Amino acid sequence: MSSTRGRTAIVGIGYSEITRRSEKPLGLLAVAACRAAIDDAGLDPSQIDGLTTYPESPFAGAGNRDGIDVVSVMYIVNHLPLAADIRWYAQIETGMIASPIIEAANALIAGACEYVLVWRAMHRPEGRPRVGTSGAPRAPGEAQFMAPWGCTSIVQWHALAWQRYMHRYGATREALAALAVNSRRNANLNPRAFFYTQPMTRDDYFNSRWIAEPLCLYDCDVPVDGCVALVMTTAERARDLKNPPAYIAGWGQNTAPRRTLLHYALDDYMECGGSLARKLWRSAGLGPADMDAAELYDGFNPSTLYWLEAAGFCRQGEACIFVHDGRIALEGELPVNTFGGSLSEGRLHGMGHIAEAVRQVTHRAEQRQIKDAEAVCAIDGSPMLRGSGIVVTSSP
Amino acid sequence: MQAKPIPVPDELTRPFWEAAREHRLVVQRCIACGYYNHPPRSACDACLAQQLRFEQVSGQGRIYSFTVMHQRDVPGFEAEAPFINIVVELNEQPMLLMVSNLPFSERERVRIGTPVKVDFEERGEIVVPQFRILDP
Repeated sequence: MSSTRGRTAIVGIGYSEITRRSEKPLGLLAVAACRAAIDDAGLDPSQIDGLTTYPESPFAGAGNRDGIDVVSVMYIVNHLPLAADIRWYAQIETGMIASPIIEAANALIAGACEYVLVWRAMHRPEGRPRVGTSGAPRAPGEAQFMAPWGCTSIVQWHALAWQRYMHRYGATREALAALAVNSRRNANLNPRAFFYTQPMTRDDYFNSRWIAEPLCLYDCDVPVDGCVALVMTTAERARDLKNPPAYIAGWGQNTAPRRTLLHYALDDYMECGGSLARKLWRSAGLGPADMDAAELYDGFNPSTLYWLEAAGFCRQGEACIFVHDGRIALEGELPVNTFGGSLSEGRLHGMGHIAEAVRQVTHRAEQRQIKDAEAVCAIDGSPMLRGSGIVVTSSP
Repeated sequence: MQAKPIPVPDELTRPFWEAAREHRLVVQRCIACGYYNHPPRSACDACLAQQLRFEQVSGQGRIYSFTVMHQRDVPGFEAEAPFINIVVELNEQPMLLMVSNLPFSERERVRIGTPVKVDFEERGEIVVPQFRILDP
């Protein structure tokens, strides 16, 4: 157990509208989410004196215009009347959205600021990725060892990893169908979810079109325009606020070296994901068996299976069995992606997972509430690529 | 309709593409420890030595994984979808991986572990190493 356990808390959640393509620029969605989070915490914007985000474009080459493709710290400084002097800020470029939360927790513990606003704004760019507009696109740098063979899309890299997982463990697409159907069922109980009103059956899953075999349409998250923001503060200040605090018990980040940088080699998932999980459980003083639910990243569906194994919820090679028989349902032994995941809520790059973990341990999870939930983890990223995660608890 | 992407060789990678033009597959190898680095590095991934040279390899390996891409959004490959990508693990070293295509007619034969051998595809101004299933 670490000296950081339970010393900070998430005290406010704010969502912008989450739509397939918003009429509003991303910057305004971010301002709306930030205002909603501050309001949810019962604070005034002038009390916010710390800012952090993970301002990454949704995919390489998607553009990084501030307020349109991404929303930086300076954009929020310029468009929200916050404290006259922002005392601390950070823009995190590695890990994923839990990484700025980890930095904010450290800053709060150090006394660098009192109330931190954290946000992740996601834009779905128009059209398709393009390297050039006419003639043959050029492939410099490491792209010269991928692009000439047309192997440049993230979904292809995930398909390559999942193909190998199936080969290694004898898994079938039934495991992914079980995850996708479970997520949709949970999304049907989440009014913020993109697929709130649309149910999905196992047959719907198997009838959907291929994207990159063996991954189909419903193995991919649903791209949206939207932003989620959180407010964090110290445990002492949290006690006096409007909502019950979601205490941050512990955290971890991927730090193990990858064996190939060109694409996602399945072989790295246990080592890389394990490097996160070991730190997560050690710092929280809790283990997988203590979790009342697990919010596990699903930008592409197989990542959730990899995390179930790498984080120790089941043994290596057994997640494809674990996800069956109702085990991961809301009423199951380990509810997974209780809000619908990125697959069915929308591509919010892990922020949806964290917001749901907070809702569950503060008993604000609406119809999805797991009875007496006390500890929930939220882990972002794909274990063989990158990741960061936190455990939140009802008591410090 | 875009043509397929053309690699832009740099000082690190030029020997790879020049050898491909001569229908030879070369991989950068560390003189100090013998480790193969692909893509080429400015220092060896295994031992950080800067003494590296390109060596011809057998061109033989096995299919490490594969995917059939259906989405028509890969630059230069829009008209070709669905098309096959394989990742080849070269016989020279575990996890020495290279990307390739297979003709779509190989769809029923593509399996993890299947032996493959390098071939070379003339593509206008460049030559692209392409692995093909080794017939028994």
